[in-house]
Amino acid sequence: MGKSTSKKIMVGVFVVVGTILLVAALYFIGNKQHLFSKNIELYATFGNVNGLTLGNNVRYSGINVGTVSKIEMIDEGTITIQMLVEDKTSRFIKKDAIASISSDGLVGSMVVNIIPGKDEVAKQVVSGDTIKSYSRIGADDMLSTLNTTNENAALLTSDLLKITNKIIEGKGTLGALVNDTLLAQDIRQFVVELKKTTAGTSTAISQINTIISKINYEESAAAVLLSDTVSANQIKKVFANLEKSSKDINEVTKNLDEYLKEIKSGKGTLNYVTQDEVLIKNIDSTMINIKEAAEKLNENMEALKHNFLFRGYFRKLERQERKEAEKN
Amino acid sequence: MNGTNALLTRTKSFFAEIGDMTLFAGRFFREVFSPPFEFKELLRQCYNMGNRSLLLVGVTGFILGLVFTLQSRPTLMQFGAESWMPSMVSLSIVREIGPVIIALICAGRIGSGIGAELGSMRVTEQIDAMEVSGTNPFKYLVVTRIAATTLMLPLLIIMGDAIALLGSAIIENLKGDVSYLLYFNQVFDALKFGDIIPATIKSVFFGFAIGLVGCYKGYYCSKGTVGVGEASNSAVVYISMLLFVIDFIAVFVTDIFFEI
Repeated sequence: MGKSTSKKIMVGVFVVVGTILLVAALYFIGNKQHLFSKNIELYATFGNVNGLTLGNNVRYSGINVGTVSKIEMIDEGTITIQMLVEDKTSRFIKKDAIASISSDGLVGSMVVNIIPGKDEVAKQVVSGDTIKSYSRIGADDMLSTLNTTNENAALLTSDLLKITNKIIEGKGTLGALVNDTLLAQDIRQFVVELKKTTAGTSTAISQINTIISKINYEESAAAVLLSDTVSANQIKKVFANLEKSSKDINEVTKNLDEYLKEIKSGKGTLNYVTQDEVLIKNIDSTMINIKEAAEKLNENMEALKHNFLFRGYFRKLERQERKEAEKN
Repeated sequence: MNGTNALLTRTKSFFAEIGDMTLFAGRFFREVFSPPFEFKELLRQCYNMGNRSLLLVGVTGFILGLVFTLQSRPTLMQFGAESWMPSMVSLSIVREIGPVIIALICAGRIGSGIGAELGSMRVTEQIDAMEVSGTNPFKYLVVTRIAATTLMLPLLIIMGDAIALLGSAIIENLKGDVSYLLYFNQVFDALKFGDIIPATIKSVFFGFAIGLVGCYKGYYCSKGTVGVGEASNSAVVYISMLLFVIDFIAVFVTDIFFEI
């Protein structure tokens, strides 16, 4: 009896353990497929589902939140997929979320990625909602792009080959730079000189620094110049005035210069007057002639006075003069 | 002409055996649902076939998972796909290798055992004595054994699969620094109901085939002690062949009903 009971227990344990293992495996598989959680249905429409099959995972921000439960072709080029998404995570998915189909790794199965939208105040999705979709480029498109890239790369390489050949042959500036040994020596010499110059500059700067450091900023004129803003403004004005004055002086000097040049060159009335001796003589003789002419004119006038034709006029003038003299 | 006759005879006997076995199976289905039920004998057989096979199945399963992982690693590493190891191993073991290997081991242990046991009972006329004494030997000996293998083999296969996956996980943990949590997470990520349910249904048929062929060969054993050996031997051969036939049909049917 005892032996039979122990056998019963052993068989019972065996059966229970085996059943538990089976049930546990089924539970874990079902759990992975979100069969035992409360789900909501979401829809998205694509032009091409790139081999998506029923049961493929749905990810939101990289977390598995559901599975693809239905794929239906509505019309030519329009495929609607139904996704079962866990209710507990659906509250994070907003109405402006975008669904895209991508591959899980290079050789993995396809997954639906739900990308969060940018509108933070958008409402959360509810069961039956259709969210926006975004079709990524497929492997074929990628390969065709790669093909173009390859062709371009081939062209680039052939051009590069030509350039490198020219460089090796010593053609062009770059070729000369690479191949010309004299140029290299010159450059080396230049660098050496540059080093020396730099060293000299450095010494000079250090000397200037020493001089500057020796300036007594507290009491010297330099300090006043460097620190007193009122003096600085005044000095500015002085300099401005000085600049203006110097411009004026410059202008005057220029005029004087021109004037003197004119004088020297013999142009102008003054120079003519001062320099021409013939003119002076002419003027002198003219003056003598004028003097003689005036004397003769006086004589003529006297003669006119005594002429019977003009005598009346002159007497009239004398009478008027006398009357005015009496009045005064 | 002689050769043709011999071939014809063998073909006839082959079909006759299949017919016999079908009738034997039909008799089993008639007897299994009719009282009296031999629960005590069923329990004993379950213990013998289930519990006592567990060690063999466990060790085989563990080594199977271990070796399978070790052998697959270099190839997967060449493709840089070591991370696919849990998926690959779990799918292979649960779908195919686990059920078939464990069923073959059970065919060797249980099938030959049943064949030898019933065969020796037949040649020592114990079965005849039971018939004379009024006990139904078919119900007592055959029904309990076939029922026990049908019930126990699926459980043995589930346990064997689990132990094989554990062996694989240990190797992955030691060689590939994959944690047990990650390993089993990936295993259940890869497995679908379409993998585990058909495999379990298939293992029920495997168990039934092992019990049926073993019992048939033993029950109809003849030619004395030589016949016992032959019954035992032919039981294993037939079972092995039948297992692959069932496996093929199961995969075929699974392919229709579950999208693999």
